[in-house]
Amino acid sequence: MRIGTQRIRELISDLQDFYLLSLNGLLGMVRQPFYYRDTVEQMDYAGSGSLFIILLISLFIGMALSLQLSAELSRVGLKIYTGKVVGISIIREIGPVLTAVVFAGRVGSGMASELGSMVLGHQVDTLRVFGVDPMKKLVVPRILSAVVMLPVLTIIGDAVSLFGAYYIAVFVSHQSGAFYWSSIRDVLVYENVLAGSIKPFIFGYLIACISCYMGLSAKGGAIGLRRTTTKAVVVSFIAIIVSDFVLTRVLLYVLGFTV
Amino acid sequence: MIEFDRVSFSYGPRPVLKEISFSIAENERVAILGGSGDGKTTILKLVLGLLRPDSGRILIDGEEITQKAEDELRDIRIRFSIVFQEGALFDSLSVKENVAFPLREYTRMKEEEIDQKVRELLRRVGLEEAIALMPEELSGGMHRRVAIMRSMAAFEPRMFLYDEPTSGLDPVSADVICRLVLHLSQKGTGFIIVTHKVFDAFKLAERFMFLKAGTIVFDGDKGKMLHSTIPEIEIFLRELNFTPYH
Repeated sequence: MRIGTQRIRELISDLQDFYLLSLNGLLGMVRQPFYYRDTVEQMDYAGSGSLFIILLISLFIGMALSLQLSAELSRVGLKIYTGKVVGISIIREIGPVLTAVVFAGRVGSGMASELGSMVLGHQVDTLRVFGVDPMKKLVVPRILSAVVMLPVLTIIGDAVSLFGAYYIAVFVSHQSGAFYWSSIRDVLVYENVLAGSIKPFIFGYLIACISCYMGLSAKGGAIGLRRTTTKAVVVSFIAIIVSDFVLTRVLLYVLGFTV
Repeated sequence: MIEFDRVSFSYGPRPVLKEISFSIAENERVAILGGSGDGKTTILKLVLGLLRPDSGRILIDGEEITQKAEDELRDIRIRFSIVFQEGALFDSLSVKENVAFPLREYTRMKEEEIDQKVRELLRRVGLEEAIALMPEELSGGMHRRVAIMRSMAAFEPRMFLYDEPTSGLDPVSADVICRLVLHLSQKGTGFIIVTHKVFDAFKLAERFMFLKAGTIVFDGDKGKMLHSTIPEIEIFLRELNFTPYH
């Protein structure tokens, strides 16, 4: 009973600290001082560092999706809709979620382990001794880099997925390339593009806040660092999936879709 | 300069310090000894306001710091120079950038002046040639020397705080660090050294405090400590006349 109460207290305290970090991270983007160099470094790590893996995964996901849909739709004589279904799936759902999951696995884990090791090595304390706010120096550049780079990576990933799907539709499923691209053009309407564009900003913010929070609350040496990194990735995955559902529901409602 | 008045601190449910009280003058050379997890480093962090006590008061120059906000503590922190365990150099910055860090934060020096100052500081500890190296390329002793110079780069501290400055070092490197610590206190600047190495503590300090299970069980000079009958202190003192197990 006592352990249960203690756990609940810790959970409430953790949530309160996470909320404060997220809020201060957001406010830090518009309050001085700004650490431009750190922000650019983080953007380079998060953006160009993740590009290759995003390209590779997006290409194969696009191809697999196109293959699956072509096979299923050809059984009911609707193979010509492959482009349309692939387009909607990638732009609105799979592209943002997949890129965010890869981003959380690569960049989020990196943020958590780097900050965790800085905490355990007293580097964060050293910053505070020198009068530097770790929130401004460490957290804000990471949030900013995730919020900027994840949408960019998502757009690139979506484009590559659509090319992968095109390759399968045309060269394996023997569909018309022109018709495929005209189907994609049809789905590139305001509602779909907006739905697919808002999500990466939210996902990026969540991943960076969760990873920074986990990293800064690291304790317990090498095992603690392992636990911190794992927790950051797992919680980020859950946050992506849950917020994706909530965002989808809200966006469908706002954009006037009926379910 | 430093006064602890019935200070208690705990990490979650685990109490670390239990109502400890002591005061340390500015020019004193104090060694805080004790086993791992007995709260030695916690005391240094409390002095700088990096941690807040659960209860009790901490006074620096008569000014209570326990309720101060982070930006108000800046003025308190610049009175001290702290060297954390293993140096705590920033991994992503070179030796030069590490030493220049407080200069950039606290001063408005030009780039050439910063470069000159960094070289001068590194020359004092024989590390000018390591200026371009990254922390991972330094030995443990070099790490500590760079960290000591970084801690005093921007201002003259009124007191040094050393957290296990010789732990994990070979005897030669440890001796170099001890000499440096003594050299820096020649002008009468006091220090608090937290260590579990009695040999080094005896070389450096004149007052010794021993922590056990969150309380100060001993506070006195070398002579008094050598005659202490506290079992833990006796175990620590065995380091001085080490005899191998058979």
